[in-house]
Amino acid sequence: MSTPALELTGLTKSFGKAEIIRGIDLSIGKAERHAIIGPNGAGKSTLFNLITARFAPTSGTVKLHGEDLTGLQPFQINRKGLSRSFQITNIFPKMTVFENVRCALLWAQGYKYSFWNLVERSRRLTEGADAILDQINLLPRRDLPAGMLSYAEQRALEIGITIAGGADVIMLDEPTAGMSHSETDYITDLILKVTEGKTLIMVEHDMGVVFGLADRISVLVYGEIIATGKPEDVRGDPKVQEAYLGAALEEEH
Amino acid sequence: MSDQITTDPSKPAQRMRAGSMTLTLGPWIVAAILLAALPFIFTSNSGLTIMNQMWITVVFALAYNMLLGQGGMLSFGHAVYAGVGGFACMHIMNASDFFASMPLPLLPIFGGLFGMGLALIVGAFSTRSAGTVFAMISLGVGELIAACSVIIVAFFGGEEGISGDRGEALPFFGLNFWSQIEVYYLTAFWVFISAVLMYLWSRTPVGRMANAVRDNPERAEFLGYSSRWVRFYSFVASGFFAGVAGGLFAINYEILTEENLNAASSGVILLVTFLGGVGFFFGPILGAIVFTLVQTVLSLETELWAFYAGSLFVATVMFFPGGLAGLIMMHVPPLRLGKLGVLTVPYIKTLIPAAIGILGLCSLVEMTFHYRHAATGDHEMTLFWTTFDSHTILPWIIAGAVTLIGLGIARTTAPALKEAWNDANTAGGKR
Repeated sequence: MSTPALELTGLTKSFGKAEIIRGIDLSIGKAERHAIIGPNGAGKSTLFNLITARFAPTSGTVKLHGEDLTGLQPFQINRKGLSRSFQITNIFPKMTVFENVRCALLWAQGYKYSFWNLVERSRRLTEGADAILDQINLLPRRDLPAGMLSYAEQRALEIGITIAGGADVIMLDEPTAGMSHSETDYITDLILKVTEGKTLIMVEHDMGVVFGLADRISVLVYGEIIATGKPEDVRGDPKVQEAYLGAALEEEH
Repeated sequence: MSDQITTDPSKPAQRMRAGSMTLTLGPWIVAAILLAALPFIFTSNSGLTIMNQMWITVVFALAYNMLLGQGGMLSFGHAVYAGVGGFACMHIMNASDFFASMPLPLLPIFGGLFGMGLALIVGAFSTRSAGTVFAMISLGVGELIAACSVIIVAFFGGEEGISGDRGEALPFFGLNFWSQIEVYYLTAFWVFISAVLMYLWSRTPVGRMANAVRDNPERAEFLGYSSRWVRFYSFVASGFFAGVAGGLFAINYEILTEENLNAASSGVILLVTFLGGVGFFFGPILGAIVFTLVQTVLSLETELWAFYAGSLFVATVMFFPGGLAGLIMMHVPPLRLGKLGVLTVPYIKTLIPAAIGILGLCSLVEMTFHYRHAATGDHEMTLFWTTFDSHTILPWIIAGAVTLIGLGIARTTAPALKEAWNDANTAGGKR
């Protein structure tokens, strides 16, 4: 088997005495669509933050294409080809939609911190950003400040920014949170389209989206992965039904 | 560039870009012509002095806005970089052998390099985060260096500062820069070059990312950019142009003192930039022009000019956080809708009475000041070309009435203005 796109070994995280992530081993293959599900407070977002170095893990390692990411800053990890979105929309609200996407292209196109290039004069940047906007159906909104978009559009923009840099590992944190049915369908189609051939890791609550998108599912409960496997296997797993669906039922009642 | 101006109507992006090229070139041409033509309109030496001061403030304010407006860094000690650049230029002026072999127009570059050098050192630790931490470090460093001015006398010259003679430079095409007009064109040249370079900076990848880091530093990190380095580059560039402003100051005034780098000067540049508006590139230019006029022209009329400047600043912060530039740009949507005309009459009905009322209020302030502070027995004062006795009751009644009536009318017509404003910002509507 080739090197996994993302490999977590013995990952733990404690905030003071509270153990949020209690030893996670997970291996996600190239071009796999992997969903992480679990009840609220299971540590899904924390896990994302550990992988992308928003938080430092207490112990354990994260490997991207076999390369250890320990001690790297978020921007360094991003440069290695891992990009993420956020649970709470995290865009540049005062800049135009177009500029949001263009900023996401700058590093990937090798501009770095240059002050001898003019962004308007780069046809590659403009066309690249427009192509992304076209993909996420926001071309008609191109010159509006991003803060003025509707919620679903902002989420789409968030995904656009996340994929724009051409990262081959994409992490989406609850991309459909707070959306109506039609908006959810729109985002699901969008995710399918833009992550073609890429490794996708997503946290999601909407089971329709999860079972529609994911090749494999991991169930995270109280900081531990209790099951990983194909959707139908996970669905049938008695431990999952007890821990996750039970908790979900409790929430509902 | 010519290959990009070709317009293909099927590609909105290209059409947009071609349009913005003409839009961006126009103002620069107008600015260049104005810079060159103004000395023919304001020919007096004092006029030239005021304009020089204005252009120096423009460079400084634009440099400051690279931090505040574009990078989201609030600095309370930016005069230090202009001051150190200026002091370095004074020392170069006094290094007679070297100075005699260098044409004067090159001097601001050295000011810039020294400002940049200091910004490199300070920026290395101050740009780690924006917000309060950055503001506090800038304040601390500012105070520290201002305090050094009385300690390191060799560089800062103690209380009397450092003075020199710009005329000792190598003549530049026969120019010695002894006359004010020659200095004007030197200053105008540099303000134009600096403004163009700072504008272009804002269009580069690092300039665009400065905006991104200002809006959302965390997201920028997840796009491959270190927020800290983006801030650092903005800070260093800003230090360079502040130093250029300092160099121009050195050339114009031939003396630098502690006043050039103390906290008060840092405060003034914050005020100027905010007054003009941090959200637009041309905001600080407007701010510098208006503030310099208030400072020079109004200070000839009244001792209380700083009071009015302060009131103007407070009013801007409270009512027009976008500054003068924001105020102007608010009118772009009505202009696009072709409904600017809707506003004319309501503006006249509200703004003229308001202006008269405010002038009345100013009269009351001036009269109070005269009543309290004029020499004993000096009861006579002149206000708006009228001489009267400030110790009689009639002028007070008139000024009070003008204030009340002016502001009263403005108040009654304000709702109509608001309605007209809403109408002007709505497409279609009544017309």
